[in-house]
Amino acid sequence: MKVIARKFRPILFPSLRKSLAICVLTGISLGGPSPSWAIDNEVLPELPDISLHGFGTLGITRSNNDNAQFIRDLTQPQGAGAQWTAKVDSVLGVQANVRFSPRTEAVLQAVTRYHGNESYQPELTWAFLKHDFSPDFSLRGGRLGTEFYMLGDSRLVGYSNLSVRPPPDFYGTLVFSYIDGVDVSATLPVASGLLKSKLFAGQSPEKTTFAPDLLWNLQGSTLVGGYVDYLSGPWQVRLSHAQVRFELESPLDAAVQAGSNPLSGVPYLSLVPEMAMANRLSHFSSIGLVYDQGPLNVQFMLNQIRHDSPAYADSRAGYLMAAYRLGALTPYLGVSRSLSILEALPTSASALVDAVTKVLAARRYTDQHTYTMGGRWDVQKSLALKAQVDWIRGQPSSVFLFKNRQAGWDGNMTVVSLALDFVF
Amino acid sequence: MTQRTLLILILLSLLGLGASVNAEPVVVVNAASAVKQLSQDEVINIFLGRYRRLPTGESAIPIDQPEGSPLRAEFYRKLVNKDLNEINAYWSRLIFSGRTSPPLQAANLANVMSLLTGSASSIGYLDRSQVDKRFRIVLEFPP
Repeated sequence: MKVIARKFRPILFPSLRKSLAICVLTGISLGGPSPSWAIDNEVLPELPDISLHGFGTLGITRSNNDNAQFIRDLTQPQGAGAQWTAKVDSVLGVQANVRFSPRTEAVLQAVTRYHGNESYQPELTWAFLKHDFSPDFSLRGGRLGTEFYMLGDSRLVGYSNLSVRPPPDFYGTLVFSYIDGVDVSATLPVASGLLKSKLFAGQSPEKTTFAPDLLWNLQGSTLVGGYVDYLSGPWQVRLSHAQVRFELESPLDAAVQAGSNPLSGVPYLSLVPEMAMANRLSHFSSIGLVYDQGPLNVQFMLNQIRHDSPAYADSRAGYLMAAYRLGALTPYLGVSRSLSILEALPTSASALVDAVTKVLAARRYTDQHTYTMGGRWDVQKSLALKAQVDWIRGQPSSVFLFKNRQAGWDGNMTVVSLALDFVF
Repeated sequence: MTQRTLLILILLSLLGLGASVNAEPVVVVNAASAVKQLSQDEVINIFLGRYRRLPTGESAIPIDQPEGSPLRAEFYRKLVNKDLNEINAYWSRLIFSGRTSPPLQAANLANVMSLLTGSASSIGYLDRSQVDKRFRIVLEFPP
């Protein structure tokens, strides 16, 4: 039955397969000049060659309680409570690839999703020129995806991922998606495998949610990082490191004043300058391991985030996910963990100010496990349906990865998600 | 044989299932190419866009069979034991993160052959029965 299901699908949907074949797999334009396949000895399509692609997710999510709202990552100002919402996972992206020569290509990508300022305002996520100097060495310049962690630059492309969303315990604190800068990547065959590495540097053009109605402008922040990958047979292992130097101060003073205003309008950071983020560094280190052999896929990742400012506690996170394909169905199981590491907070002459510092630091605290169970059904080519349940089990103090926490929050939440992922 | 079994067999053969079971992909290059043999890992690296360099030092240009071709499904099953949905999801990740491009896709078998004969850097796969003196087999899969 397994075999039959696999053989049936391609034949039942030839037209869909064909359209995707044309637009995704070959880079032949949808509306442009017809390809020159008929001409003998003509290996490549006519240049410049423009192709259009897209990806999207229609997702609905709800949890079992309204004591806090579940979010996909910290850029989202609100999330899912006990009512179904499409905010958390729905996304639409379009991309144009323009190939000028076999070695030079431009890529433009725009994405709309729910993020800062309660809006779905589209963002220009990629706009870069790529040149392959050889099969071993490539350079990209312009607006590029950041790859702080393995799979980090495709975390919005649901169709390419196994689960509904990359585990928020691990990826949820990542508010950087793209930079204006350059990256270089190199590949070297070593023993029976491949050693790949990439270095990137640039400045952030993004803004992220800081508090419900406050954005933190990340513009001008400097991001530098890189990774080393080793691929051999079914194994891939990656070590990566990135660091951010924040340019602009977080809107901490405004957040304090917008709350109960305990300092009667006195700027908090003038009293506790140690809690500032501007000109301070944050360091992101991770190790990733993927085993992908036939129907079995296992991912294991660990990260450590160190902030030079005590405004954000240092943290560690990790996840393990395993999936096994059975024909068109791929069930998966996962467990993830995020933990803040408590550190000494700056003190001042005033007990009131110290109390405010404690409250502010506590908002960044996480200590929880998430157990995930779900299934992916490849309905037809380029279309997958997923259902997933996440059981979050944490301390009542574990609040960082949620929004709009209420007094009854006990650290536990069950989240149910359905998602339809597609590419075209 | 009952009537129902017969009907199922007819349906299956109409759907091309019979053909896909018999497909025997072999990896080939232009007979004029200096490449004599490739390992399975080298072919994986070329077709999955990890490293597209031939042992001769030249860039490799991989050619895919048309969409829906049973040979294509069988090739990826033998190469990496993946079905075409997984290969499609794999390429979605690379395309939408702006990395490598997938193999060139031919419109039909004749195109596969002309792309292969047209360039010494091309690498493709054919059914064993389609291989003639214009091509050299560089990798065979164990049965």
